[in-house]
Amino acid sequence: MSTENVSGPTIVLGVIGSDCHAVGNAILYRVFSEAGFNVVNLGVMVSQDEYIDAAIETNAKAILVSSLYGQGELDCEGLRERCIERGIDDILLYVGGNLVIGKVDYAQTEAKFKKMGYDRVFTPESDLNEVIKLLYADIKERFGE
Amino acid sequence: MTAAYGKAYISDADFFAEREEVLKTWPTGSDVDLDEAVAYHRTISDDKKFTEALKKAAEEGRVLVQPRAGVALVDEHIELLQKLAAEADLLPTTIDAYTRLNHYEEAQKGIERSVAAGKSLLNGFPAVNHGVKECRRVVEAVSRPLQVRHGTPDARLLAEITLAAGFTSFEGGGISYNIPYAKKAPLELSVKTWQYVDRLCGYYESKGIRINREPFGPLTGSLVPPCVSTSVAILEGLLALEQGVRCVTVGYGQLGNLVQDVAAVISLRELCDEYFRKFGFENYQLTTVLHQWMGGFPEDEAKAFAVISWGGAIAALAKATKVIVKTPHEARGIPTAEANLQGIKATKQIVNMLAEQHLLREDSLQNEVELIKKEVRCILDRVFELGEGDFAKACVRAFASGVLDVPFAPSRFNKGKLMPVRDSSGAVRILDWAGTPATDEVREFHRRCVEERGVSEGRKPSYHMLIDDIYAVSKGRLVGCRR
Ligand code: B12
Repeated sequence: MSTENVSGPTIVLGVIGSDCHAVGNAILYRVFSEAGFNVVNLGVMVSQDEYIDAAIETNAKAILVSSLYGQGELDCEGLRERCIERGIDDILLYVGGNLVIGKVDYAQTEAKFKKMGYDRVFTPESDLNEVIKLLYADIKERFGE
Repeated sequence: MTAAYGKAYISDADFFAEREEVLKTWPTGSDVDLDEAVAYHRTISDDKKFTEALKKAAEEGRVLVQPRAGVALVDEHIELLQKLAAEADLLPTTIDAYTRLNHYEEAQKGIERSVAAGKSLLNGFPAVNHGVKECRRVVEAVSRPLQVRHGTPDARLLAEITLAAGFTSFEGGGISYNIPYAKKAPLELSVKTWQYVDRLCGYYESKGIRINREPFGPLTGSLVPPCVSTSVAILEGLLALEQGVRCVTVGYGQLGNLVQDVAAVISLRELCDEYFRKFGFENYQLTTVLHQWMGGFPEDEAKAFAVISWGGAIAALAKATKVIVKTPHEARGIPTAEANLQGIKATKQIVNMLAEQHLLREDSLQNEVELIKKEVRCILDRVFELGEGDFAKACVRAFASGVLDVPFAPSRFNKGKLMPVRDSSGAVRILDWAGTPATDEVREFHRRCVEERGVSEGRKPSYHMLIDDIYAVSKGRLVGCRR
């Protein structure tokens, strides 16, 4: 687990399930750290409970879930319910990457993951500067910070 | 120094004792019958044997074309492979990510959910859950040689089941299927379980059944310098030969610079021969495979075809024995059969057009070959010193000390300190060698290459430059430009 001591909001980052894709994770860690977030990076192959443990421990405002390998549909289901069960009902859940198997229309994927309780859903090509702006705005709106 | 090496052959007693435990790790293991499997392999015709296809291609100087493919359910997988057989010379069965980590319960759920959804929700074929009989249905339904392709640190049961079913080639190795694919799997364990896999293939070989073994060359596919991937391929080749394997295909992932890529395949082939002989191995069958660009792809399909074709060109010009193809869907998701066929066809077109053409081994190519050879010899000298007569120990200690270090690997057993970056011509050089040994002359060469790029771009070579290189191909270039 790697963190840097910065004053910005704390977020938890990691690649879910049995997924080994490490390159995007390394870049996201850099980019969000440079943007002022206190990033708790769990790396690849993260279970739902590992995200939640880290979020509770560090009082994180958001969990950023990556899934690249296609089995995201199986791995991501139930994370919102599990967050509620463990008392962090209002944490922001972002998810991004190659979320489902195959080249599927993005709108379909977005709808599927929003229904699972994710606040925002991103394609691999998302502009990370835009994501950073959204995340600051969403945190402000939800937590008033 | 070489004398002590090559003697870690697993005895019959140890092999069969371990085997009993391996077969108990999932219920389908109990259906594996080695004698029956050997008898079955004797009935497989030559045109469905991997080793025969490779031998013939090598003799004729042809490049064989092979896709990646695998879905959750047997009938759908058969249908997919039958479609691909129309164009492909060799066929794969790509295994799903749960099976790769021995999470067979999760794979089972994935199978059930895929049945319910009417489409595959797994990113590959869960061969262990399907078991010998069902896997054999796949073998019998397709008309081409079949290989198991995966990314499994402990592939013992997977190998038992698929080889017993009649697969004739098995990809992977103790380093190449751990360091890029796992986080917590100890290297010592993966090397050891892969010695078992090699020993199993060696057992078939001892019964006259030749199984092709293919170390996974590209590793993380993310700017891995040729000297790193070549060193790993040689080590895994030696580990396989030590256990009685006699048919090895070593691989390399295209990086994008023509001269460097062709040189890398040439030096890979020549260095393997050099080291295999040095350690006393003879009478092996050695071939090469080129993987089309393994990093991030452009989303636009026309642009993806350009990347695919450039990879095909490298395979043809480097005279690789086979090429593993990407598809126009690469940036987005597991390809449909149709997209996969398009990748194969584009590749075949270019491979055939270049079949009669030869790159001259003029200075720039010859220099690059010599450079890679110098680098690899320097690394491996140190690795074999560390191993004190044992290949497995050599691998483990080399990673623990950072003598071998793979960029962007998720494994905790990899230092991740070596930093590559492209030079102005797009060749991958090393910005920070970290614990990897190199001669002063080699270091100076890399330093100059990188410095030159820095000057031409008016910036200092750094991690930012490397990140720009990571995105470059997906954004339509080879050398990353400042964002
Ligand atoms: C490199 C690579 C590999 C390497 C990975 C090395 C490593 N350990 O990192 C290797 C060769 C080992 C590999 C293996 C596999 N891979 Co792979 N791999 C790729 C490839 C070519 C590039 C990925 C990459 O590094 N991109 C560069 C980085 C910078 O981009 P990124 O990862 O997309 O991350 C960015 C964005 O997605 C986004 N993002 C990601 N997460 C999030 C989260 C949030 C909140 C936000 C806002 C944004 C965001 O920001 C990141 C930074 O820019 C992609 C295809 C492609 N993109 O071209 C396939 C791909 C991801 N792999 C794929 C698959 C299936 C696998 C395998 C399962 C093998 C298989 N069956 O084919 C195995 C994985 C086994 C496992 N246990 O996970 C598929 C996934 C298919 C799908 N979703 O339908 C892809 C899409 C290829 C394909 N079309 O088939 N792979």
